[in-house]
Amino acid sequence: MGHFLVVGILVIVMAVLTYLGLDAAGLMPVQASAQSVSIDWLWNWQLIAISFLFSLIVVPMVYSLIVFRRKKGETGDGQHIEGNTPLEIAWTIVPLFIVLAFAYMGAYSLGQTRSIDPNAMVVKVKAQQFVWTFEYPEYGIISKELHLPVNKQVILKMESADVIHSFWVPEFRVKQDVVPGRVTEYRITPTLIGDYKVRCAELCGASHAYMEGPVIVNSQADYDMWISEQAAIAAEAAKTPEGQGQLLTVKNGCIGCHSLDGAKMTGPTWFNLYGSDVKLEGGSTVVADDAFITESILDPKAKEVAGFAPTVMPPYALSETEIANIIAYLKTLK
Amino acid sequence: MSHNQDKSSAYGQGVLIFVYLVALTALEYFVAVTFSAVSILVVVAVIKAALVMYYYMHIYKLNEDSGDDTHSYAYKTGTNRLGLWLFLLSDAFVFAGLLTTRVNLLGLTRPHLNQILGVGVTAVLLISSFFMNRGETAMAHGDKKGFIANALVTFVLGLGFLLGVVAVEWPAAAAEGLTASSGTAGAVFYMMTGMHAFHVFTGLVFLLVIINNARKDVYSEDKHWGVEAVTVYWHFVDLVWIFFYPALYLIGKLL
Amino acid sequence: MGLVFAASGSWTYVHLVPVLLALFGGATAYSWGASGLSPLTKGFIWLDLGALIGFALGLVIDWVVQGSLNWVAPTASLFSLLFGFTGFFLGVAGFNAVSKGLIWQITGTLIGAIFISVIRVAMGLTWSGPFLFTEPAWVLGGFLGVLFFLGGNGAVSDWFKWAQGIDTPDHHEEHYTGWEKYLHISFDHKVIGIQYTVTALLLISVGGLFALIFRTELAASQLQFLTTDMKLFGQNGPQLYNTFMSLHGMIMIVSILLGMAGITNFVVPLLLGAQDMAFPRLNSFAFWISVPATVLLLMSLILGGFDTGWTGYPPLSARAPVGMQMFFLGVFTAGWSSILGALNVIVTVVRMRSKGMTAFRMPIFVWASIATSIIALTATQFIGLAFQLVMFQRLFGMGFFDPAKGGNPVLFQHLFWFYSHPAVYVFILPGLGVISELLPVFARKPLFGYRWIAMSSLAIALVGFLVWAHHMFTSGMNEYLRVPFMYSTLLVAIPTGVKFFSWVATLWKGKIWAPTPMLFVLGGIVVFLLGGLTGPPNATVSTDLHLHDTYFIVGHFHDTIFGGFVFPFFAALYYWFPKATGRRMNETLGKVHFWLMTPAFFILTFGMMRIGLLGMRRRIVDYDPALNFDFTHLILTVMGFMIAISVLIFIYNFFNSIKNGEKAEGNVWNSRSPEWQVPSPMPTHNYDQPFEVVGEPYDYGLAGAPKYVEFAAPAKSKHK
Repeated sequence: MGHFLVVGILVIVMAVLTYLGLDAAGLMPVQASAQSVSIDWLWNWQLIAISFLFSLIVVPMVYSLIVFRRKKGETGDGQHIEGNTPLEIAWTIVPLFIVLAFAYMGAYSLGQTRSIDPNAMVVKVKAQQFVWTFEYPEYGIISKELHLPVNKQVILKMESADVIHSFWVPEFRVKQDVVPGRVTEYRITPTLIGDYKVRCAELCGASHAYMEGPVIVNSQADYDMWISEQAAIAAEAAKTPEGQGQLLTVKNGCIGCHSLDGAKMTGPTWFNLYGSDVKLEGGSTVVADDAFITESILDPKAKEVAGFAPTVMPPYALSETEIANIIAYLKTLK
Repeated sequence: MSHNQDKSSAYGQGVLIFVYLVALTALEYFVAVTFSAVSILVVVAVIKAALVMYYYMHIYKLNEDSGDDTHSYAYKTGTNRLGLWLFLLSDAFVFAGLLTTRVNLLGLTRPHLNQILGVGVTAVLLISSFFMNRGETAMAHGDKKGFIANALVTFVLGLGFLLGVVAVEWPAAAAEGLTASSGTAGAVFYMMTGMHAFHVFTGLVFLLVIINNARKDVYSEDKHWGVEAVTVYWHFVDLVWIFFYPALYLIGKLL
Repeated sequence: MGLVFAASGSWTYVHLVPVLLALFGGATAYSWGASGLSPLTKGFIWLDLGALIGFALGLVIDWVVQGSLNWVAPTASLFSLLFGFTGFFLGVAGFNAVSKGLIWQITGTLIGAIFISVIRVAMGLTWSGPFLFTEPAWVLGGFLGVLFFLGGNGAVSDWFKWAQGIDTPDHHEEHYTGWEKYLHISFDHKVIGIQYTVTALLLISVGGLFALIFRTELAASQLQFLTTDMKLFGQNGPQLYNTFMSLHGMIMIVSILLGMAGITNFVVPLLLGAQDMAFPRLNSFAFWISVPATVLLLMSLILGGFDTGWTGYPPLSARAPVGMQMFFLGVFTAGWSSILGALNVIVTVVRMRSKGMTAFRMPIFVWASIATSIIALTATQFIGLAFQLVMFQRLFGMGFFDPAKGGNPVLFQHLFWFYSHPAVYVFILPGLGVISELLPVFARKPLFGYRWIAMSSLAIALVGFLVWAHHMFTSGMNEYLRVPFMYSTLLVAIPTGVKFFSWVATLWKGKIWAPTPMLFVLGGIVVFLLGGLTGPPNATVSTDLHLHDTYFIVGHFHDTIFGGFVFPFFAALYYWFPKATGRRMNETLGKVHFWLMTPAFFILTFGMMRIGLLGMRRRIVDYDPALNFDFTHLILTVMGFMIAISVLIFIYNFFNSIKNGEKAEGNVWNSRSPEWQVPSPMPTHNYDQPFEVVGEPYDYGLAGAPKYVEFAAPAKSKHK
């Protein structure tokens, strides 16, 4: 009986220490949404179970290795114990109940993350290689940044233009794939003001790592201010061709791959692009004039720019006016 | 069910099962054109499959005692039989996956196909199964000539089925706009019939092999595992079509 | 080694060819210096020559076709790889099953590709592309290449004879002795087992090398090594990262399948008392089909790679370069190896057991093999089908997964995971079987709860068929399906728990001794425990919404795979090595291997899980410096290299001990198992006398217990 007592005490001590250690390690990012509360609650229970079960197996194992090791010169065998049916039944049935309890808690926690506020605000999300675009349909705003008011449920209606992406803000915990051909929904109630990032969690191609976008949780007042600013900017921009061109480049996600400041991203930068000499794959050069830019939008693979081949950009079927507006906008980037 | 029947009663059983299968196929077609009840179609297909598996593919032989001498032909045949059935089980998962794909993508709809052609090729394949069964029975009773004659008929019918699907049905469907790239219905149709046709093709090759070997007197009344294997495989190909035919031609509303 | 990679980051990658040549040249020179003009030296010389000739030929062809000289033309790399590879085996032993097969595979590939190209020209289409041939040409070429390999190297020649009505003897005379027999077709399950195992070790090295390459890039944020400026195999750095990362996954999976097939093949007939597997030709075929499959997987790297991960989800896989098709073909082909191998195992166990071996007197490893084989036999068809559907979507525009044509991308995930989750149990169940098989020997006690452990393997296999959608909790599939899949997934914990508890109870009150195999068994238990315990948080839907597709998952499954496969695989190799060679591996090196690998591995996966929880996504070439993961990633990279070093030590020990190991021809581990009751190495047709099972397999510690098996009295040989 002595062995069991020692092992029993050691298991409990080890389990408590393991749990305290894991708890103190700060494993999760900050909680920034109402949904993260119930997820972290379940996670905590998982940690308790992990700590206990880890100790329950490892402690008697290590104990046996030390106490029941074959000492020098010994040649005999261990005790002839073939099994113990009640024990086997016990360690089948007891885990069964634990498993059922966890499944129930999992379902409960899932229910909590999906609780629906009928007054939730709607934002449309468009995912494409390799950029997130957010549309606020009520205000006609299209933005690269997702601004959200704190403590208000928002429902993101997400669509993909090309391949599967996944919307994930680690501080919000919840993740949802964006699948081409259908609209997926993502409900979240931000609870902590701050700057976060949405990070695409489903491999979507060469620049998947960089498919990130700012997610900014504002106070209601700051949020309202941002909305009115953006609405005004959008209205102003719509008056000029270059303004409309700029809106188009945001809406189509162009700026996910083309920088405006000379930085090298997935595609060539637009800074000082118009009228410049562009080196092509294979050594030839071409002037970035209207014809080249039009061709590069309608058939991106027609001319491969050196250093960016093979081209990953899909063709964009824009109208002549739209392309003219974009070119007008490109001319301003100097 | 004794497998040591005399030759004429074995032939008789083959005819009887064939009559059942014909009747059930007719019932299937009738149900489809009148009140299109999916559940009845499924039940009929399962009954047909069970008949084929038991009487034509004699699955019960898996249970046959093959003695203790592991070097005997009988014991090795028992081992081979288990191997063949496991292979068919594995292969069945391909077809199950295709059916899953069909149900997921098309649901209770079906593409517009030539019904007469569908029934036609189905009948040809079913009749070929009948002759295959006769051929095997003949060989099991040492009747080499009977086997070759029946196997040749099977081959001709099988070739007829293959050409009926690939050389007649495919161009006909394509002419009506159902092409491989036209949409999910076309994709599912060509993939399912194509995968099945590939199996029919391999079955035909195997048939040629055993006909040729029988000519060379490789098989005897007691030792004809090759014939049994090809027979079971051929019936398996028919069995797959028992499910594919209603899935493509009968179940659901026209698109 | 890390320095080499880091330094090469600044070079233009044209220089990689001379670097490789210098590397192989160095190996050649070393081999010459060590052993003169030995077969291995000849192999290296031919490899160098083949690689050079292939490179030059590919370069010229590319020059002619493309009209400009391109030093990094994929065509040149491809020919270099194929010719070098073939040259090596030609140099080592002239025409053998490998070199003949490879020559035929190259021929078949070219015939298929040229055939399609001619048709395309006749139809007025272009025939050439950046990878020399067009995609359809490569697909037919790749497929024909596999058929030609098998037709050309003799793996199917007996079947062709049968088809012509010519009978062949059950066993062929072995024409080759020593190491040469492993390069030729053999129907002996022990030879095939070793062929599998060595191929698996080679693949583990290749997959590990890929891991080191991308881990090096991950050592710091931003791109330093696989940069966007570089260009190799028609890919830039991040694209190459994706290809390496994806191929690391699949090559390791194939190596696991082959590794466990190796152990199973070698051990199961010995445990059953059978002369061989039920279908020796099928057995040989199943091995040989994995060789062209491997070549296809490597070709995918050169033909533009692919960027989808090993999962190959459409629509991304429908847009990826030609390499994607080679990957699909390679996996499809390797799948057949797994299916046919599994079929053989089941039939062997059902039909070939020795007298008296009832179901519950079979060695426990046999139970694990059966459970594994049931999954591999059936579910593997689903991944083959899923990949075929994408292949046809790409070739013929069939819209299975194309939303624009009404297709459903999520359907692919269902088909894929219906295999790929149970596949995980294919990877681990044999390993858990090894643990259960070896524990009693080293604890000197009966296996605690034998029947429960046997049944738990079957339970895991069967429940495993019902859990696939837990990989898809965030995929947008039907919401209400997530809860039942959570329940079924958590149920797997119960039979797994039974195993753990029984193992601990087996150790309890034993007389434990811990030579190298036992160390790996114990390490395997703890590592697999960590993998098991980090599983339920992924099974409960709400926590999985956070964990899915992060490094937490990466850490979790590396724990399960290392605990369920890598550790037990090494344990099995150390344990059965004397049975195969009559010598044992060096204990000291074995212990160094263990004590280097185990701590490094713990740190590796703990680190992965930690940053995963904090926001590190899977499958990314670069990470946000603001996340402050740089230091952790550096540690992870160092640990990766430590594991690599420990495996190199193992490989040295493995090959060195074949010749120089300490002689061990008796019952080295004092085991009750039948294979240890006869001298090592095992004779060609296994036991000279059949045995009968008269006792329990694991009756250690019972004075006067009957033996497990009793050999029949010597009689006149019955062999034909």
